[in-house]
Amino acid sequence: MTDAGATAVAEGTLKGGGGSPSQAPSKALRSPWTAVVAVAVLFLAAFPVLSDDLYYQNMFILSMVFAIGAVGLNVITGYAGYVSLGQGAFIGLGAYTLGICVNDIGGSPWVWVPVAGLLAGAVAALLGVVAMRARGHAFVILTIAFLFLLQLLATNWDELTNGTGGITPPLPTWSVEYQNWPYYYSLMGLLALSLLMSWWIRRTKFGMGLIAIREDEDKAATVGVSTPTYKILAFAASAVFVGMAGAIYGYYIAFIDPLGMFNILLSVQIILSLLIGGRATLWGPVLGAFLIEWLNETSNNEFGGGNARLLIFGGLLTLVVLFLPQGIIPTVGGWIERWRTRGKAGLAGERLSGIDLRERAAPAPAAPAASAAPLLEVKGLEKRFGGVCAVDGASFTVPEGSITALIGPNGSGKTTVFNLIGGTMAAQAGEVWFDGRRIDGPPWARAHRGLGRTFQITRLFGEMTVLENVVAPLREFHVGLLNANAVSGREAGRAEELLDFVGMRKYRDVRASALSYGQQKLVELAQILMLDPKLIMLDEPAGGINPTLIERIGEMIRELNSRGKTFLIVEHNMPFVLGLCNPVLVLARGQTIASGAPDEIQKDPKVLDAYLGEDFRLEQPVGA
Amino acid sequence: MTEFLQALILGLLIGGVYALLASGLTLIFGVMNVINIAHGAFLILAAFVTWSLWRETGLDPLAAIVVLTPLMFAFGWLLYNATIRPIRRAPPAASVLLTFGLALFIEGLMGEIWGNTSHSVRPGYFTESFQIGEIFLPKAQVYGGLVAICVLASLYLVLTRSWLGRAIRASAVNPQGAELVGVKVASVAALTFAIGVASAGAGGAIASVLYPFLPGSHYQWIARLLGIIVLGGMGSLPGAVIGALCLGVAELMTVTYIGPEWATGVPYLFVFVVLLLRPQGILGMRLRQDVATA
Repeated sequence: MTDAGATAVAEGTLKGGGGSPSQAPSKALRSPWTAVVAVAVLFLAAFPVLSDDLYYQNMFILSMVFAIGAVGLNVITGYAGYVSLGQGAFIGLGAYTLGICVNDIGGSPWVWVPVAGLLAGAVAALLGVVAMRARGHAFVILTIAFLFLLQLLATNWDELTNGTGGITPPLPTWSVEYQNWPYYYSLMGLLALSLLMSWWIRRTKFGMGLIAIREDEDKAATVGVSTPTYKILAFAASAVFVGMAGAIYGYYIAFIDPLGMFNILLSVQIILSLLIGGRATLWGPVLGAFLIEWLNETSNNEFGGGNARLLIFGGLLTLVVLFLPQGIIPTVGGWIERWRTRGKAGLAGERLSGIDLRERAAPAPAAPAASAAPLLEVKGLEKRFGGVCAVDGASFTVPEGSITALIGPNGSGKTTVFNLIGGTMAAQAGEVWFDGRRIDGPPWARAHRGLGRTFQITRLFGEMTVLENVVAPLREFHVGLLNANAVSGREAGRAEELLDFVGMRKYRDVRASALSYGQQKLVELAQILMLDPKLIMLDEPAGGINPTLIERIGEMIRELNSRGKTFLIVEHNMPFVLGLCNPVLVLARGQTIASGAPDEIQKDPKVLDAYLGEDFRLEQPVGA
Repeated sequence: MTEFLQALILGLLIGGVYALLASGLTLIFGVMNVINIAHGAFLILAAFVTWSLWRETGLDPLAAIVVLTPLMFAFGWLLYNATIRPIRRAPPAASVLLTFGLALFIEGLMGEIWGNTSHSVRPGYFTESFQIGEIFLPKAQVYGGLVAICVLASLYLVLTRSWLGRAIRASAVNPQGAELVGVKVASVAALTFAIGVASAGAGGAIASVLYPFLPGSHYQWIARLLGIIVLGGMGSLPGAVIGALCLGVAELMTVTYIGPEWATGVPYLFVFVVLLLRPQGILGMRLRQDVATA
């Protein structure tokens, strides 16, 4: 253990320097990619000027509409992990906004394009509000219902939408000489803006929070990510440009009707664009969109459209999920990376660095000073799951500066108590007081107040590197923070010190899911230390790891404690608890039945009874 | 009042058919954590096969259940092993996208075979009604509802009284635990999917008499079934039955008092309201999540 690291941990020193997160694959790809992208952009920009072929102009216009849709979808599906089957609805919404406004209110159609974007963004944000309570499958269902609901409204709300008759926006007023240039270049501008947004999201705290949500939303909340804010902003961001593109699209094809505009096939093509190109990449959705539009034209021209399109796109969606789940760009990137690193051994099996196994007699845990104020106070906490009363009026205090243990038989409610304190679950009754104030906010607010916790089964953000995992926690939240660099040099420096402290610095750039269970525990500890919490709650820090590592974790806890951190530890390993903690709290059937110094607890008949049961004492002790 | 009673009874009868169809969907979700978006396409496929059987041989659509249930069971089993089994360890989104792709593919296939026009199966009793007082109940709806309830009852017997049923329920509650006590969860999942698709087969045969259908009808059906399982609580069989009866009645009331063109909107409304107010649905439970995932 390096003292410098420990000092930094305890005092929250922020040293400069340190590396930025390695982006090895993208760096390796940068030069050829840049050239390819530049040529493609120049070609696209020059095309209408160089060629007057309206067929290809039309194809590129539709490709760009798909691309804008897919880049937007990427924000919620690629970054935040929310799969939507209703992305096409925002194109329809944009088109209808333009059609209705220009016909009923008047003015130039172009004026209404930004309005369509704002409306789409606002509706998407509302969807995000509903989605605050619907994750995974429930969210997918919600998006399907959303698309169909808009289609139904467009069909039945005759006065506004003219029903199945549809809306015809005014014809373009510019000279025929310019063909479709205004559509073409405005869509190109929108696509550029979308990509700029996607690029910005990827490199900021906003994007990192979204990826944390994708990897583990509840965990993200416990390390200070204010998940609803992130999600609602992401939803709005995913739809604004799509709504604008939809408005231009409706103006361009000059007929806006429910079946065409809210066709589910439009959503399918947008999803396919994203999947084929590559989720959570910058250019993947664009690449995918041009491929899909090409396929669209082919299926119309060669196979007569209609059912053939369904067979082709349905079949393709099935095949992509089965055989190309990563998409083209990540798959090709993976090949290149494998080729580059061939013959090199990975780090995963290496010994932990910095292990110092000096024989030293651990001092008996000191009792907290009598004057120590309670840092955490739990009063009459209750939580029922159906008929099971998991926590039944638990009350206890954790003195400031102590290493307090919370022990109890399986099923006594320890983890539930943790969840209630951390805010992951809401208590039915009772209060939690922390640092002199009552806390009852969401998990991220509690994390900002100085409460850090680990999980019984480690929950790292699997697709992030170790360094990114450690940098992900947020000690505060304000809107300006979203714009901050995802990994600033300062943070990287501090994260490296923390990784050094837990002996995992070498693993900085390894993906968290590639680590062993014990290594993940260490990284999770470093991760919550990044919060610089006043109280560190560890759920079974010694569970499922080897004895050497248990000893090492014990040492780290002592070290951190000596520098002012208070601990609350749930643990089943009794020698570990009794050698480390004082006071020890005992939980049984959801109530605190005893608390005191380790040697008192060991002799307490109530504790023996809770662990071993009534029968135990009726029999003669074995071997006595 | 008569109008109300008629809508109520018809709604409950239709709800019985919905219950059968939604049970398969919720069963598949409960055991496999897969939202089978292709469920609507399966049932329309069954309806088309019923139509062909009725056209070619004059077989009564309700009797066609005997043919369609085993046929769709085999189809479901093969489909599971060919497409869903390989991705069972992939993130949940994969199965949604996959079954969505299957739904589109089947829609295209049905369009190629039967054409994109509206079909309906009209057995001899199609235009007849039972009359109780002033209430008219079309025979097709009464027979359809009763047959659906019988099939549903036998599904319940299988699930509660057989070894397979216990294995299915065990796999739903705790796959690792079931594996430990000797249940081959992957095989059970295949059988569950097959049972789910078979129930869509039976339900599709009944539905072919109740509503006209075309390949694109599966969207409306899947929306309806999703609304039901969201309302009832995803994965809960009794929830699916309650949700189905609610939806059946709500649709009929909408048709009677608001207008038939808004009836398709009822399931969407269910989805939004339930997810806003009680995301776990009527009978669903929110479980501890911290230890459930590794």
